[in-house]
Amino acid sequence: MSRPVLARRDQVLRGGQPLAFGVGLLVALVVGVVLLMGSGHDPIRVYERMFDASLGGSRAWSVTLNRAVPLGLAGLAVAVAGSMGLWNIGAEGQIMAGAIGATWVARIGEGWPGPVLVPAMLAAAVVGGGLLALGPAVARARIGVNEIITTLMLNEVALRLVQWLIHGRWKDPDSHGFPLAPMLPEQGRLPNLFERAHVGVVLAGVVIALFGLAASRTAWGYELRVAGSSGATARYAGISLQRKILTVLVLSGGVAGLAGGVELTGASDRITEGLSNGFGFAGIIVAALALMRPSGVAAVALLFGAVQIGGQSIQTMGVSSSVSTILQALILFGAIAAGVFSRYRVEMVSGDAAEAVA
Amino acid sequence: MCLAGTGWRWCLATPRRLSHDPGAWLVNEASIIGLLEATVSFGALLYLAALGEMITEKAGILNLGVEGMMAMGAVTGFVVALHTGNPWVALAGAVAAGAAVALLHGLFTVVMGADQVVSGLSLTILGIGLAAYLGKGSVGRPSGAELSSVDWGPLSDVPWFGPVLFQQSPFVYLAVVAGVVAWFVLGRTRLGLALRAAGESASTADAAGHSVAGLRLGAVATGGALAGTSGAYLTLSLTPQWAEGIVAGRGWIAVALVIFGAWRPGRVALGALLFGLTLALKTRLQTFGVDFSPILLSMLPYLLTVGVLVAISIRARNRPSPAPAALGIAYRREER
Repeated sequence: MSRPVLARRDQVLRGGQPLAFGVGLLVALVVGVVLLMGSGHDPIRVYERMFDASLGGSRAWSVTLNRAVPLGLAGLAVAVAGSMGLWNIGAEGQIMAGAIGATWVARIGEGWPGPVLVPAMLAAAVVGGGLLALGPAVARARIGVNEIITTLMLNEVALRLVQWLIHGRWKDPDSHGFPLAPMLPEQGRLPNLFERAHVGVVLAGVVIALFGLAASRTAWGYELRVAGSSGATARYAGISLQRKILTVLVLSGGVAGLAGGVELTGASDRITEGLSNGFGFAGIIVAALALMRPSGVAAVALLFGAVQIGGQSIQTMGVSSSVSTILQALILFGAIAAGVFSRYRVEMVSGDAAEAVA
Repeated sequence: MCLAGTGWRWCLATPRRLSHDPGAWLVNEASIIGLLEATVSFGALLYLAALGEMITEKAGILNLGVEGMMAMGAVTGFVVALHTGNPWVALAGAVAAGAAVALLHGLFTVVMGADQVVSGLSLTILGIGLAAYLGKGSVGRPSGAELSSVDWGPLSDVPWFGPVLFQQSPFVYLAVVAGVVAWFVLGRTRLGLALRAAGESASTADAAGHSVAGLRLGAVATGGALAGTSGAYLTLSLTPQWAEGIVAGRGWIAVALVIFGAWRPGRVALGALLFGLTLALKTRLQTFGVDFSPILLSMLPYLLTVGVLVAISIRARNRPSPAPAALGIAYRREER
């Protein structure tokens, strides 16, 4: 009797991750064809429209880049924590907290000129996101509370905080009773770059690049990786684990908060409960596909931005925008599977041999 | 209701906070019975999903896809009801759909050893997306096959207890049965012992001759089936309609409940009733004349769970954590 087992390859297949990513994309597109045909649509035409709307021309690129900004920053937030082996599942909530901070500044600084107001709003967004991560960070660093669940729970808390504010204190008196915050002042918006793209694209690119450099070229980044791979080694090397965990998780929250601030000032008129429409969760997929590396985060975020914008564009053809949500999840599942096979190979072993290995 | 000892200074219904307008005083027998009835209904909804997650975690697998599995159960139940007109067939479909998507998580985490956090969250995204895709043509339609409440004869007419306990949807009684079965199987049978061993120390379970992968896949599928049932409860009984986003974060409450209830069926049930009360109060605070934001109230389950997690970790210095020791860790016999 023989059975298949996964045996570790002596060497990880070269170029494994980009390859896995390609396989994931392929799997997603193939399943997408089935779904589209199932709902009576011509998959070629739908994919063509998705491509045109997201990457066909400068206007399309500008919209896609805008969308890649919150995805990339959220992905970076997850990757910063992930490079130390920590999970920040709370980017979704930290994005909301960042938007709360930025909106708060916009409310007190109504008459401030744009060059003062916008940076102040973004700074407040970083603080807001960092504050939401502070609790889980302290709990993890001091008493070892699992940060996965605490950050996850605070997502729902932050969402409700926004709901509470726009139903009450921040409700626009001119909104005819609707729970809507007032529009941001004109000088509280990010200036445009080209077509639809706003300055946040550059900002996000710079932040991601800075973290990429810090992670690969500085002692700080090195210590991070050491601390992530082995707590004991880190302690021998004199790295304070507690402080590292604290700073990394708060920093991660701050980056996610920045995503909220940029999304608010760049792509939204006002704070709404739908401001972070799953960016935080998509950021986790982005970071996972990028293997927690900042350079990869930028590339994957761009692709996911394109998939999301393409998904919106096909609604006019009567295709559910949920197809793009499904595609995003399938890219990851496909990539995980391919990633496993780049590290393992399937071997048939006989029952006896299996016992011997065990 | 004052939550003593939790550190919250929120006394939710002390007379001091009650409105002074006598017209707002709607606290009467009927409204309290209504509140308790809703508490039990919501509690059962949360309990079905939380119980599934608890069984999954007991075997060592963390599945953060509850929200997605519930959405799949909700949409499958509704669509099948729409086409067959038979709510029981619809329930079976929801159970199968929940188990099927859960097994995707099982395939990736148990068979391939992929990261459980990433796979589970992707399952949530996939489930919500697939549910929206499958339910697109059914939004706003009546299913025409609701599961009506069970009639327990004279028991249903008992004052107070009748309406609260004996005029409920079949799903409520299903939740009770599932809880008792889970308690018995996990704590009193060899299968339960093997399952818990797979979650505490997979290599020990393996050495004892159990198939760790088989146990874990079984637990994951059971968890998905229960989450699917919970989703079907939404669309076949509670709010007999399909709408995108109908699960509305209740899958996350289920994940929280497992921790809140310290991985024990009984305590999870008590937690489900408590969290169910917060859901039931949400729409009723104003009618009770309580001047407290229902939105802030709905934060309570999540904050309480964070509080419990912190308490568990502080206590863990002296006694072992109630969490399964091998939770979240992939097992590969060849790399033991």
